[in-house]
Amino acid sequence: MSMPKPDPLADLPWPKPEAPGEAVSAKICGACTKNLCAKRGLSAFNRLALCVAVSGVVASFGYWFGLRHHRSELGLRMGVYGAVGWALMQAAVLFIGFAPRRGLLGSRGARMALAVLVPVLFLGYLSYAAWSYVPFEQFSHGARAAHALGCGLVALSFGAIVGGSVLLVWRGTDPVTPRLSGTLAGFVGGVGGALAVGIGCPSHEAWHLWTAHGLIVLALGLMGFAAGRRLLSP
Amino acid sequence: MDRYVDGEAEAFEFLYRRVSPNLMGYLLRLTRNRERAEDLLQITFSKVHRARGSFLKGAPVLPWILAIARRSFLDERRSAQVRTEDLSPDGSLPEPQNEERPLPTEVSDALEVALDRLPENYREAIVLTKITGLSVAEAASVLGATETAVKLRVHRGYTQLRKELEQYSRTP
Repeated sequence: MSMPKPDPLADLPWPKPEAPGEAVSAKICGACTKNLCAKRGLSAFNRLALCVAVSGVVASFGYWFGLRHHRSELGLRMGVYGAVGWALMQAAVLFIGFAPRRGLLGSRGARMALAVLVPVLFLGYLSYAAWSYVPFEQFSHGARAAHALGCGLVALSFGAIVGGSVLLVWRGTDPVTPRLSGTLAGFVGGVGGALAVGIGCPSHEAWHLWTAHGLIVLALGLMGFAAGRRLLSP
Repeated sequence: MDRYVDGEAEAFEFLYRRVSPNLMGYLLRLTRNRERAEDLLQITFSKVHRARGSFLKGAPVLPWILAIARRSFLDERRSAQVRTEDLSPDGSLPEPQNEERPLPTEVSDALEVALDRLPENYREAIVLTKITGLSVAEAASVLGATETAVKLRVHRGYTQLRKELEQYSRTP
């Protein structure tokens, strides 16, 4: 009976870790310990609460705007219900996407799945919330298009506030996948902005919701992707 | 790390002594140049210093620092690619140097040469798991890949290393 062949790599003389030069070490230790003071950032829970609070403030502004412009009570109520439901989704995205990553929750696969699911689900929600439909030819001309453009720009601004706050609050926390985290931050911002405008916006036409409220989620996701590496990488 | 975040200078020095050899070894294998590796080591620790407040308490330190180092290396390489070529003092483009290495005489030298010849993603996976001593899960978190992908890269890297070393053992 022949003996199994030993793995030729098992006893290989793998290189040992190498210490850096004395001068470099002294320079690094000097720079990193000079005037060293405690620097404890916010906990993951506080960061998450802060981001949801910013989204809440923006949504409140949308509610105030709706009240001022005498939006129907039913419309306001539906908008608020939607915003509360999506606030839970925003919290889940922030928790899975940004909080301490251990186990399945927070794994790269789960975060990638969120990056696909959030915009798809939100567009689905907008389709469900649309009460009427006009053909695109009618929508794309005149007052409807102008209203959609105005709504889209306001939603983009609100979304930039929410998404920007997420990027700032979690700044420098993701050295591994900052672009993916940035995309998620953009989606959270986009959803926040679109819902805030949705509370105050009287239109419930499908094309209006898809373009003025839905497209900005995708646009902010792209912006987050671009800004993520700069802001979220330490 | 937690004591360093709380402002203890001795804790940083202890952390540095523990982490820097592994980090330097990793950067040397990424850059294949000692000066660049030392520059990147400084950049990495300055980033760690700035971002220490965002370190999540209780998380493993070495993968976090290695991930920062890897990101710094990729950023530096990206900016080097768009940098224009430096002219020599006489105004001409410098000729590329022929960097042929002498044939290895020891197994350890042969292993170094074989490691250098591996594709970057295989080499990184092997360096992190075999030389730096990370688990597959930790290496996956540094590389931003799945554990299965890291295992596959390590296995393919091993196969290629084995071929290279067999060739070495056949040479007289």
